[in-house]
Amino acid sequence: MSEPGISTSELRAEGVPSASACAIKLQVFEGPLDLLLHLIRLAEVDITDIPIAEIAEQYTEYVALMHELDLDVAGEYLLMAATLAWIKSRMLLPPSAEGDEDEGPDPRAELVARLLEYQRFKEAAEQLGERTLEGRDVFAAQSPEVERAPDEERPLAVSLVALLDAFRRVLARSGGTGRHEVATEPIHVRDRMLAVMDALARFESLEFERVFELEPGRPWSRTLLIATFLAILELVRLAALRVYQGLDAAGVPEGPIRLRRAEGPGADAWAAAVAEIT
Amino acid sequence: MDREGQKRILEALVLGAPAPVSAEKIAEVVPGLEVEDARRLVAELGREYDEQGRAFEIWEVAGGYQLRTRPEFAPYLRLLHRERPLRLSRAALETLAVVAYRQPVTRAEIEAVRGVEADAVIKSLVERQLVRIAGHREVPGRPMLYGTTPRFLEVFGLGRLEDLPTLREIEELLPPGAETTGPPPPASAAAEPGELEPDVESPAELH
Repeated sequence: MSEPGISTSELRAEGVPSASACAIKLQVFEGPLDLLLHLIRLAEVDITDIPIAEIAEQYTEYVALMHELDLDVAGEYLLMAATLAWIKSRMLLPPSAEGDEDEGPDPRAELVARLLEYQRFKEAAEQLGERTLEGRDVFAAQSPEVERAPDEERPLAVSLVALLDAFRRVLARSGGTGRHEVATEPIHVRDRMLAVMDALARFESLEFERVFELEPGRPWSRTLLIATFLAILELVRLAALRVYQGLDAAGVPEGPIRLRRAEGPGADAWAAAVAEIT
Repeated sequence: MDREGQKRILEALVLGAPAPVSAEKIAEVVPGLEVEDARRLVAELGREYDEQGRAFEIWEVAGGYQLRTRPEFAPYLRLLHRERPLRLSRAALETLAVVAYRQPVTRAEIEAVRGVEADAVIKSLVERQLVRIAGHREVPGRPMLYGTTPRFLEVFGLGRLEDLPTLREIEELLPPGAETTGPPPPASAAAEPGELEPDVESPAELH
């Protein structure tokens, strides 16, 4: 598909190489703090005594360049430019009096603290990346998780009735019925969802009724029991866990109801869903 | 059962387990084996592999033992694996570092350290099972708290979290002779990450 006249591709061929070279360079930065650290290192200045005017100017040039190249300049970069300008203006203010005392905090102090803090984690990240990683540098010999639940223990093998019956037994055992309960703390279904998933991370599978005996020492109020039950139902709905029960020879559900974390892709989708519940 | 027999069973367990298998678990499965013996046998087995020049070795990760290929064979294994080899971007590694050292930590705290938005990176780390939701902080808005997973320990070859190298102290990053300027004024944008802030257990509930 050729175009008449000066083709745009020709124009682009002329303009792009330098631009994309810059783009690649710019994208090396993980954000404004990273860019600033780079500029400070280039300028070979002491991080605790940054020549703000000089660094701010270079920083602004970079950001302007990003604009020019039509790169998506994240708001964080602009915010930092404003911070630098503010610090610069503060530095220009004449000291109130002669003498080192009573000058107030260095306007650069907060920025320096943030830069140093970021640098710590930047280095820690580099160290992490240099480790011998499983799946990249070494490979584990392990058989894929064996599906332990046989076919007749598939999720729907437990009926809601059986589940409700089991929960009624739990309630009955708690003996909390009708007794006056003082609400000492608000209970959130979301928290109970996290608690159940935590327990299932520790135990491969868990008997349904045992879920209500976790956290020994904690008073299991009726409200807490109900919230936990609702949490289990919600997690089943989100396909985060599976509820199943064995079948006897005749195919009738039998034995304790058990919970198990769902596996496979999407098994962690519940985490995102939990995050949205307020 | 004789020692050789126990050692072979142990070898089978470490080879075929779906996840790193702990000394406790080994002792539970192998007849007549104590936890301490299990550890000794693992060490012995590791030495055997070394002496025989095997292509694999025993690692202690995420609280258990696992057989892993030696690093020099990685190029071949990468050709074999159909999935793309593990790749972690700088953004992912930096976010992981903050989560690993500061856990449990909120998104705002991660963003305060890195100076950039962290939402998408956190999501992808959760998806890759390196990071998980570890509760929420009892402050208004009840922000989610993030922590690392056992899978994180496995991928990074750590026996436990305490095996992470200690984070460098700020003072070590300063040029010699430099003075710290004292505590910074309150942060303008995001909340300052504070190790002293109340965590999940905090009873403070604001309404």
